[in-house]
Order: sequence, then structure tokens, then C-alpha cells
Amino acid sequence: MNVVELRNVTKRFDQFIAVKDLSLEVRQGTIFGLLGPNGAGKTTSIRMIVNIFAPDDGKVLVMGKQVSPDLQPFIGYLPEERGLYKKMKIGDQLIFFANLKGVNSNEAARRVDDWLKRLELSDWKNKKPTDLSKGMQQKVQFIVSIIHNPEVMILDEPFSGLDPVSVDLLKNVILDLKKQGKTIIFSTHQMEQVEQMCDDICLINHGRQVLSGSLREVKRRYGKNTVILDYEGTDSFLGFEMVKQHKRFANYSEILLSDGADAQEVLKRALESGARVNRFELVEPSLNEIFIETVTGSKNKAQVAEAVR
Amino acid sequence: MKKVWVIIKREYLVRVRTRAFAIGTVISPLLLLGLIILPAFLAERGGGGEKYVTVLDQTGDSALFEGIKSRVESTGSRNGSDSDEGFGRSTRFILTRQALTENQNPVELIKSQSSDSGKTEHRSFLVLGPGILENSPPEYHARNLSDFSIRALEGAVSAAIAERKLMRAGFDANKIGQYMKPVTLKNFKIGAGGESTEGGMRQDFMIAFALLFFLYMSVLFYGIFVMRGVIEEKQSRIVEVVISSVKPTQMMLGKVIGIGLVGLTQIGIWAISAGLISMLGGKIMASQGASVPSIPANLLVYFVLFFVLGFFLFATLYAMVGSTVSSEEDAQQAQFPVTLLLVVPMMIFGLVMSNPNSNTSIILSMVPFFAPTLMMLRIAVINPPMWQVITSMLIMLVTILGFVWLAAKIYRVGILMYGKRPNLAELGRWLRYN
Repeated sequence: MNVVELRNVTKRFDQFIAVKDLSLEVRQGTIFGLLGPNGAGKTTSIRMIVNIFAPDDGKVLVMGKQVSPDLQPFIGYLPEERGLYKKMKIGDQLIFFANLKGVNSNEAARRVDDWLKRLELSDWKNKKPTDLSKGMQQKVQFIVSIIHNPEVMILDEPFSGLDPVSVDLLKNVILDLKKQGKTIIFSTHQMEQVEQMCDDICLINHGRQVLSGSLREVKRRYGKNTVILDYEGTDSFLGFEMVKQHKRFANYSEILLSDGADAQEVLKRALESGARVNRFELVEPSLNEIFIETVTGSKNKAQVAEAVR
Repeated sequence: MKKVWVIIKREYLVRVRTRAFAIGTVISPLLLLGLIILPAFLAERGGGGEKYVTVLDQTGDSALFEGIKSRVESTGSRNGSDSDEGFGRSTRFILTRQALTENQNPVELIKSQSSDSGKTEHRSFLVLGPGILENSPPEYHARNLSDFSIRALEGAVSAAIAERKLMRAGFDANKIGQYMKPVTLKNFKIGAGGESTEGGMRQDFMIAFALLFFLYMSVLFYGIFVMRGVIEEKQSRIVEVVISSVKPTQMMLGKVIGIGLVGLTQIGIWAISAGLISMLGGKIMASQGASVPSIPANLLVYFVLFFVLGFFLFATLYAMVGSTVSSEEDAQQAQFPVTLLLVVPMMIFGLVMSNPNSNTSIILSMVPFFAPTLMMLRIAVINPPMWQVITSMLIMLVTILGFVWLAAKIYRVGILMYGKRPNLAELGRWLRYN
């Protein structure tokens, strides 16, 4: 079943078209990556799903029904730009947001305690946001978006500003929720996280869909055209027409081959040049590569690299 | 609607629990009380002290001098003149007589006495010329002539001269005092039913001014509160989470109602304590022969009604302004037109107070932005016909509905817009967004 579905959705602001004829399907119990460079229309799309904006054309369906205030309690939303009330205690604040989603105060209080404990914030319940570090506030925000036990969670850059321990903590929570059959829409610029967590992805640019499908399928579409080569020696042998792109990292090189090129040729030339090869692996392109490759079809490369970081 | 209630509850509790609310509730009435009492108090104190007056008497005998002296010294300046009540009441005149012959020039004498010693600074001179009872005016020479207490002296001199004249005309010296007793008008106010109740013009004025001032302050204060609340939610980006749960219009209404209830709570506390004070204090003061102005209950009801209407009208405007700006600095500019609508009646209320039944006053009190303050004022000073009161309320109600509609349209777009403040054309386009 598709928990969220966009059908030929268009949204305009005056002359500017933020989203054009966009369609996508999010299957229940999956993690869906909504990707795209800055200004691609991700936030506008998300805002239509959570019923902040209404589409000018097309349909937005959540749990099979046209999105409406009645469906809002089933949706949890962690916006990219977030905030908490400065002068309200963390505990009160969470109960307020739970109340807004229709959870009564007793039940909300119980859940708040559970979640604060799970995210190691129990000591901060009676503190105000100004007493918390940025990362802690982030975790509180995360609780806000799931306190009402929604069916669909939309998380926009959920890990930004978090230390690795906290990232791990949140990831486990998200995977746990997935196990419970919840659906997660995940918007981020951090491609490694998408590769780790997402089942399906949709890449949009200039308000249009440019790539979509399951992560595995998308990657397969690009084929095994990347060579990971760990070697000692000069990289002079790499300057031949088969190599489309070459990135030198600290411990290895990532070599993107031209269409129809034979990977064995790279190895052969490396050995001929006298380099010592420690590792040679033929892999699928990273999502990062796919992202840049797809988006730069129409745009300046540097700009996109900036967007991906 | 349950969601609106959740928002109302938050807005209310968060504000009522603050120390600022408690302090504001206590301080404001004290401030107003101070505003009314302090000037009178200062005038009394400031003009106080002793005033030495040398009376240069050319009349030949001390009878007139004694008459002035007794009036000025025995009763202070109270009997001097009714018009200066409240000013210089505690100034004490100390008169010394210096007899002069008709040939001596008082001006020369004053010059010689004023130029030599430093002590003369507080000394002034009253010249009673030889023809004083034949209508040649008495003269007063002093360095400071802008002192209100002089009027007390003037009254005493005038009364003493009249007394001397009457005595010379052959009236019974013992009865002159009775003949000359000043008369004051006793004031009655005609009420709504045509019945007259005793009450001073001063008391009416005080109550009307207090109600006007409180209404103005409350609407302004709580209106700005709404604006700042909107800006805070916008700046801290809370809005996006909130409006993924409720409609922007519900969010705005919840905020306006919640803060309005905070205002009503404060006003309620004031009204109850004002009632208690005038009840308890009234008894104590009455036993001392003074009266405490008590505010009629119907005025309090009107006050609450006009606060609610006025607050709603301005709060929606302030919410709208708050939603279009991104920072408090921008808000300072953007709120100006709204605040001006509230300030204008405070600048022209004198016009209405002095002539509450003129066509100008009636029309002004019907303008929705002025009605909360000016109609309240008219109700406090006169009893305007009921149809006028109801009409003004209806006009306000319709205006409020219009502005809620408009503000809701602007608000839902504005709270998600950051950066440059929109111009009017952009605001117009926002109205058409889905």
C-alpha cells in the first residue's frame, strides 16, 4: 500500500513554479529518500504532504485519502528549520505539541518520559531550551515529530548538528519505527545516510522528478562502472580516454569509467606504470556520484557539488 | 476547535505564570494612581514653605492690615479664592507691617531693601496706597510672580478691602462676615433615567480619564504582546511545526484569544481590587469627611466589553503585522500605522470630553478604531443614547470580522516568509494563494 502518494502535483508562487507535475509513491513500512539540490522543491513538496500548502494542480494522498486536517495526527514532521519555545520547559513543550496532535495530557506525559529516557534527556525535562546544547534541542525536536506515534514521519535533515553517538541513537530509533511498520520520508543532502537507510529514492531538480525507484534498482541502472583502486605510485596512467572522472582520496582513488570501457584495462595500465596495487574493486557508483551526475545535466558542476557538500 | 483550545491554554498559562504578569498587575494601578496624585502632591509641596511679605501700609491705620493678616494666616489660603483649590494650599504667609506716610515713596523703599542683603530673596512687598479704599489697586512687588500662592494673597486682600468698604458704608461689623461668605455651586449629574445624583465634575473626570487610560494601555499593551508572540514563533521557526498540526487561522485565533484572556484576567484583578478599595477605603475616607470616587458597575461592564472588542480589533491587526516581518526591528516600523490608530483618540479625547454630544464627538466615537476609547469616554461622562453605543459596537464587530478574514489570509502566507518585508502589492497577491 502507498502511504503517501503525489499525483501530478504542481505548486506555483506568483510566476515561480516550485513543483511541476511531480508524482511519487511511498510504500508503507519503507524509508523513502526525497533528494535534490537546494531550491529543488523538496520543502514545498513536504509542506503539501503535511497540509501546510495546498497544491494548485494534482492530488496529494495520505493513507489513501486526500490530505486534510483530519490526517494531520497521523503525520509527524521534523522541518529543516526548527525551533522550540524559549520560555517553556522541555516537558511542557512536548506535551503541548502532543496535545496539538490530539494526544491527551496524561498519555502525552507518559510518552514524554519514555522518549526523554530513550534519548538520554530525562535530566532536562524541567529545563528550558536555552539551557540545552544545540544537539539536545535537536533530539527534543525529533521527539516532537514522533510523540503522537504517527504512521508517516517526514524528517528533514534529522542528523544535522548531531554527534556520531546521537546520530547512531536516532538511526536506531528510526529503524525501530520502520520495523513497527511506520513509514519514513527522509530528506537530506548526506548521501551516505541515504545509502545506508533508504529503500526507495526520488531525486528532484527544478521542481521536477529526475530520478526515482528503489535504491538498488537505481544503482543497478548505472551499472558497475566505478573502480576503487588503492595503490602506491604516480597517477599518470589515469590520463586516458576511458576514464571519465577521477577522484583521489587519502587512501584510494575512485575512478568513473566511460561507457563501454573495460575495468581490466585500468588495472593493466596501473601495473604497467609500476604502481603497487593494494586493492582493486569494481563497484556500483556511489549515490553521491549519481546525484551529481544527474543534477549537472542542466547545471554547473561546482554549484551542485556545493549543494551536496 | 479542540486544537484552538490547546493553543489558547498554552498562550494563557505561559504568560500568566510569569513574574512580569504579577508585577504588571500590581504596578500599573499604582502608576496610574501616582499619575493622578503626584502632580497635585508636588504642586502642594513645591509651592509650600513660608512666604515673608512686608506690607508697606500708607492707609494710616492697621485695620486693613489686620484684616488681611487674619485671613491669610488663620485659615491658610483656603478662603482666599476658590479657583486655586489644590495649589499652594500649604504656603504660609508671614506678614509684617511697615507704616509709611503718604509722602514716602514705597518703590524707593523696596529698592533699598531689596538690593542690600541676601536674605531678601524670599521677601516680597504688598503696597497698600493711601487711596486703597477709593479703588486705587494694591500693588505686589516680588522677584517671583509666577507663584500660584499669590492668588491666595490676592483673595485675602480683596476680601479685606471689601470688608473695610462695607464697614465704612455703615454695615454691622459683626454681620459682614456672613454677608461675604463665598458661595459654591453644588453639582448634580443627570443620569440615564433622568434622576439627579450629587457628584462632582472632578470625580467624573477622574473616572473617565482612568477608564480611558486603562483601556488605551491595555489594548496597546496586549496588542503588542500578540505581535511579539507571532514574531517569536516566526523567528524561532516554531510555526512550521505548529501549522503542520493546526490551520494557521486557528493558530492565530488561539493566540489572540489566549492573550486576550490574560488581559481580561488582569483587568478582572484590577476591577475586584478597585471594588474592595472603594468599599473599604470609602468607609474610612467617609468617616474623615472625604469621598472616594467609586466606579459604577455598569461602567465596568462597558469597560470589559470595549476592551474585548478593542483588543480583538487591534490584536488581529498586530498579528497581521507580526506575520509579515522577520524581526523586532522591522516590526517597529511596520506596526506604526496600527499604533497610530490607537494613539489618535488619545490625542483628541479632550475634544470629546469637553463636548461629548457634538456631532463630531458622535461620529468620532463611531469610527471602529476610535470607538473603544472614545465611546467609553462618552459613556463615562454622559449617557449617550443606547442606539449610539450599540451601533458603535456593531460597527466594531463587523470591522473585526473583516480584519480576522484579512489577517488570516495574510498570516498563513506571512509566517512562512522570511527576509524582505513585503510591499502592499505583494500582500495583495498573498490573498490569492491557495
